[in-house]
Amino acid sequence: MENLYRLPFTVVQCPNLKLKKPSWVRKPSNTTVLFGLLVSYFLVTAGVIYDIIVEPPSVGSTTDEYGHYKPVAFMAWRINGQYIMEGLAAAFMFTLGGLGFILLDQTNKPNMPRLNRVLMIICSFIFILVAYCATKIFIRIKMPSYLT
Amino acid sequence: MAAQVTTNQSIINDDSGSLTTDSEFQTNVNSKKRLSSSSNILPTSSILSPTGLTSLISFIVLTCAYISGFMSRLFSVIRFESIIHEFDPWFNYRSTAYMTENGFYNFLNWFDELAWYPLGRIVGGTIYPGLMVTSGVIHWFLHMINIPIHIREICVFLAPFFSGLTALATYLLTKELWSRRAGLFAAAFIAIAPGYSSRSVAGSYDNEGIAIFALMFTYFLWIRSVKTGSVFWSCCTALSYFYMVSAWGGYVFIINLIPVHVFILLVLRRYSLRLYVSYSIFYILGLILSMQIPFVGFQPVRTSEHMLAAGVFALLQAYAFIDYLYTKLPRADDLKQLFFGLMIFIGLSVFAVVVILTYAGYIAPWSGRFYSLWDTNYAKIHIPIIASVSEHQPTTWTSFFFDLHLLICLFPVGAWFCIKELNDERVFIVLYAVFASYFAGVMIRLMLTLTPCVCVLAAIALSKTLDYYADTETSDMSTSPVVPSNDNDENENETEKNNRNLYDKAGKPKPIPGRRGPTNTNQDTDDDTSIVSSNIKTVVVICIAMMLMLLAVHCTWVTSNAYSSPSIVLASYNNDGSRYIIDDFREAYYWLRKNTPERARVMSWWDYGYQIAGMGNRTVLVDNNTWNNSHIALVGKAMSSNESEAYKIMTMLDVDYVLVIFGGMIGYSGDDINKFLWMVRIAEGEHPKDIREQDYFTENGEFRVDRSGSPILLNCLMYKLCYYRFGELQTDFRSPPGFDRTRHVEIGNKNFDLQHVEEAYTTEHWIVRIYKVKKLANRLQAKNALRQVQRRKSIYSTSKKTSGQARKQGVILNKPQVKKGTKVLTRKT
Repeated sequence: MENLYRLPFTVVQCPNLKLKKPSWVRKPSNTTVLFGLLVSYFLVTAGVIYDIIVEPPSVGSTTDEYGHYKPVAFMAWRINGQYIMEGLAAAFMFTLGGLGFILLDQTNKPNMPRLNRVLMIICSFIFILVAYCATKIFIRIKMPSYLT
Repeated sequence: MAAQVTTNQSIINDDSGSLTTDSEFQTNVNSKKRLSSSSNILPTSSILSPTGLTSLISFIVLTCAYISGFMSRLFSVIRFESIIHEFDPWFNYRSTAYMTENGFYNFLNWFDELAWYPLGRIVGGTIYPGLMVTSGVIHWFLHMINIPIHIREICVFLAPFFSGLTALATYLLTKELWSRRAGLFAAAFIAIAPGYSSRSVAGSYDNEGIAIFALMFTYFLWIRSVKTGSVFWSCCTALSYFYMVSAWGGYVFIINLIPVHVFILLVLRRYSLRLYVSYSIFYILGLILSMQIPFVGFQPVRTSEHMLAAGVFALLQAYAFIDYLYTKLPRADDLKQLFFGLMIFIGLSVFAVVVILTYAGYIAPWSGRFYSLWDTNYAKIHIPIIASVSEHQPTTWTSFFFDLHLLICLFPVGAWFCIKELNDERVFIVLYAVFASYFAGVMIRLMLTLTPCVCVLAAIALSKTLDYYADTETSDMSTSPVVPSNDNDENENETEKNNRNLYDKAGKPKPIPGRRGPTNTNQDTDDDTSIVSSNIKTVVVICIAMMLMLLAVHCTWVTSNAYSSPSIVLASYNNDGSRYIIDDFREAYYWLRKNTPERARVMSWWDYGYQIAGMGNRTVLVDNNTWNNSHIALVGKAMSSNESEAYKIMTMLDVDYVLVIFGGMIGYSGDDINKFLWMVRIAEGEHPKDIREQDYFTENGEFRVDRSGSPILLNCLMYKLCYYRFGELQTDFRSPPGFDRTRHVEIGNKNFDLQHVEEAYTTEHWIVRIYKVKKLANRLQAKNALRQVQRRKSIYSTSKKTSGQARKQGVILNKPQVKKGTKVLTRKT
């Protein structure tokens, strides 16, 4: 059996080879993962796929009673339609809310200066509330009959 | 079974010990504390002990989740009546009724001649029978215990019933993934989440209603089997998978997600014998079981959608073998690189084999429906029939918000927590989240598969946050471990209940910090636990409770307003709030049922095929099972060409009646004119020479039905059928006659006559208009028909002609007739 292994090496000289994992293959750090997660989530909730397929304008426009063009940010009354910018804005708010909750979790870390902790709590509060109120306003613009 | 399990577990236990994660550890600690506390108190009754209390509370919460999930789906029954909704449910209902009448085997062999005239449809081989069998079994069971309920009621209430079960399955899954508290949250979320209730309100008797339960239960069993590595649980997974396959085409999601999970675990070097046992058994059993469904047949070994599972199976076997060699060979550590390379080689070769087989034609390539998930523009260009369905449209941010509300913010947080504290089963939920959110972005319909995952992850996020913040007495933890864990659970469940029962006081946790003064003084001394003062904690808890309350309000509103319309009965509200029911669809279908010949063929766009067959009981040409594109294209061509051209197609297809849906009279937007462009597109796909989409637009590229609309559009069959005699009608004093309320224009072509069809019936609000196709007209008399033919006159003809009329004998009424050749028998006697 041993001889069978050696058979090819009578002809071939074994090269002195040292295989190494390439240096760029590394386990990504937590922050990178979080960043990637949030960015991809942002893109999905922004309806980027919708934007690619349907190709809506970035901002809509109407004419008011004087004949002036007025930009319209939200495609009102249509759940299955959007402009690019409104999707991005809403997705930003969603992600902001998520970030707020993550910050809220980070505050329980031990050994952190008191000021940082207070700041983080305030930040997370603001993030969550802003996100919440903003989405609420958005949806009110979009569907004026919401919750009535 | 037990004997087999023990052999595996003896090996398995070695590595499972090291794999318990932090959170599990924490929960263990908690439960231990509870146990110790119970021993400390020496409780008199077992129910009041903390363990008894937690199980009691979780039981109550789950019951509440079940009931609220069931109740919140009953809006449509309360507002309208117990009726089957929309389109597909009508077919499911019809086939269920057929099955209960004729038995299961006759149902499997059923040839439905009402559909796809003249082709027909073999129903048993083209459906997933799980839904019908489920309701059939329930029907049989209820009749066995002498509850005489009609099959329709079972069909209507099946989806709410199963959504309650989904809540339980989600609880079990989340409990496996994180903790029991998170599980309770998840159950409450999934019970009311609009993303799920959109497909499972009472009356929407569709495959998804039961399939989501099967999906979550299969995932729970899979996680359980990966955790334990027991043969029993993996067999259960396969059985549950079988149920899923029998219920919904979305089983492909399971058979791809589980292999991906296994593959990623291999890549992350989390291979274990448990994984090997559970996947091997699941795959083999699941493969054999899934092939028992007639509709699936040999697809699991023949199509690309299933090849990932097969490839991963092969890879796992190879990995297990090499892993075995690794333990046997001396100096194996030196060969690490070799093994690594070998694995990559095997992986690549498996991949290459699949690709080669696909090219050689042994394996069918991805079907268009799945392919369009990856190449998002594919359906738009190549398969208009898929792109035309509104639920196959890509998702906008509004749908995300409407279906998930607060959960949309918590979802990435939960995913992040899972990534941070990764273990074998959390890899699974993270993968589920990644794939489901991508798919949900591509198709609105797939929000349905995303929703359970969002509920699970949001529950994890919320539970982890509240684990810390709702626990206002952490500082007491060291001194008296009795109270905190108990209170913690109570607070949690308090918010739980808030989540669904709006009238519960949100501020209940408030008095607790006040009562326990010493927490504030302990704060500075305890570095580890009392980081945030209990006041802030209370504020956080209250805020979260408020948000959950708003979530519940939102969910109820969306479910009741957006998703509870039966869509065959429409309701409109007057200014004073009184309701007006528009019941045109049933009116028309009932007319068809009663006034047309039994074998009459009705041509309509495919959306209404199931309804006509189900309610009208008449033969249709095309229906919602869109398996034959060319047939649909032919109907589309008939609709979009002019009358004489359409008449040729209609006589060819043997059509007796044409049915169109017209909403211009009352402003119903889902009518055929709005769908018309899709008919043109589908027709163009098959007959590009005769139909061109460009012809139906104005010069500016707009689709208009008013005077500036393109003449081809204004003379096509669909236009004429919709607007026949509409120009004579003035709906409003402010608007001109023939004013279309849906498109807000005055129609362009008002006065026209129909040549080959005649109006048969128009419903009260003109929503459904039915036309009868005239039989072929008599041929026109030829010009030379009056030519005198030279004929030799016979003598008899002249004599008869002159005297014929006068000499004809008259007939006397009631004159007794003598029949010759028969004797009256009575005379003999």
